[in-house]
Amino acid sequence: MSKSIVQIAVAGVLLALGTQAAIAAPDWSKVPKRDIQVFHPGVTAMEWIVKKSDHSGTAGLRKGESCVGCHEEKGNLNFNMKRMADKELEPKAAPKTMNFPVSVQAASDAANLYIRLSFKAPAGGADKGDKDNEVKATLLFGDAKVPQGAQVGCWATCHTDARTMPGADEKKTKYTKEGAYELIQWASKGNKVSDGSVTTERKMSGGSTGAKVEGGKSGDGYTLTFTRKNPGEGKTVPFGFAIHADHASGRFHHVSMGYTLGIGADGDIKVTKQ
Amino acid sequence: MADNEKSGLLAMLRRPSAKYSLLSLLVVGFFSGIFFWGGFNTAMEATNTLEFCIGCHEMRDNVYVEYKKTIHYANRTGVRAVCSDCHVPKDWTHKMIRKIQASKELWGKMTGIIDTPEKFAAHRLQMAESEWARMKGNDSRECRNCHSFDAMDVEKQKLRGSKMHKIGVAEKKTCIDCHKGIAHTKPKGMKEDEEE
Repeated sequence: MSKSIVQIAVAGVLLALGTQAAIAAPDWSKVPKRDIQVFHPGVTAMEWIVKKSDHSGTAGLRKGESCVGCHEEKGNLNFNMKRMADKELEPKAAPKTMNFPVSVQAASDAANLYIRLSFKAPAGGADKGDKDNEVKATLLFGDAKVPQGAQVGCWATCHTDARTMPGADEKKTKYTKEGAYELIQWASKGNKVSDGSVTTERKMSGGSTGAKVEGGKSGDGYTLTFTRKNPGEGKTVPFGFAIHADHASGRFHHVSMGYTLGIGADGDIKVTKQ
Repeated sequence: MADNEKSGLLAMLRRPSAKYSLLSLLVVGFFSGIFFWGGFNTAMEATNTLEFCIGCHEMRDNVYVEYKKTIHYANRTGVRAVCSDCHVPKDWTHKMIRKIQASKELWGKMTGIIDTPEKFAAHRLQMAESEWARMKGNDSRECRNCHSFDAMDVEKQKLRGSKMHKIGVAEKKTCIDCHKGIAHTKPKGMKEDEEE
């Protein structure tokens, strides 16, 4: 008897939580979509970005310009993708699809920030290091202490001496030199959600965002809704994301440049309040 | 009278002509001048052609191959900048100075200083730095034979070029400050410019 009471109680709690989630879910039909191109960055780590002989745009960065400010044009990227795929910037092998669009929507209520990503993950990857997961999607939210965080997005965590970079220590994860990022990752195997952080090292747990992710593969694409604690009204939060497609691991992901989320404030992506 | 009796080449050149009129001498001198001056400049221009530059395998097998992949070799408008357009001044005085400086390359050719791909790679940084210093020193004069900020409509450029050129104008930059390695492979180990 007591066992069935427990079962009923558990079912009741789950139903209550489910109902709450259903109520809290944003009406996505009222949230504008923005298509953001993610691309294979090769070995263009932060050190490459700030080295003038590699990247003449360092002068722009010094003036406060963001990556998006120079490189997102007419809804696309104005990089030379052939150069990106060439041996110098991708010594191993480039994926067949160097960039693809991800549709991004962002909404909030008093308790949570919701981000929905919709995309078709391309096949033809060059690295299939993650045997377990066909696809992973990762969000990073930078704090105000990250130098140039609002300009460079995830690049502040990406360094030439981190794992999967040529000649790097395979145990060294991404890291920041100053400041911190909140990290939320969804992995396709078992819909695993990691709530972690990036500081002096990347941790896949111990985060404080209360992250949940709903959705998964539907048809030939993925729709993922990330829910996390609202960082606070009136805040502009540095934000970037990455898709590991076709079993990719480490740096063999497709990444977005750094955008800002405006939560009741200015930002590249204005969060719709619901 | 005593001078007239002296013999030798110098004396002959100094002796007034008794046989030819002044007009004849002027006419012959004038046309000879045109002939020799024209010949000199024709020979000079011959050393400015792409064919001359890639006559040596050192250029043909290295920098020429790299340059052929760039916009200065082939582009939508069909305008080509050859080696001398970027590496030899257009005006006569600076061109002569550059040609005289370049004559030491003959010694390099004879001694085979860059006659293998390995030797070329080993000297690439030194050669590039020398040329970058020349371009920086003359405010990218050879670039400016075709390009100028005055004639540039930055609003018609791609976003990144437009933004960078606005910074370039504001900071009084010269072309080569940013456009290193646009026609040839960048050398390994190049030094970073000091930030201003």
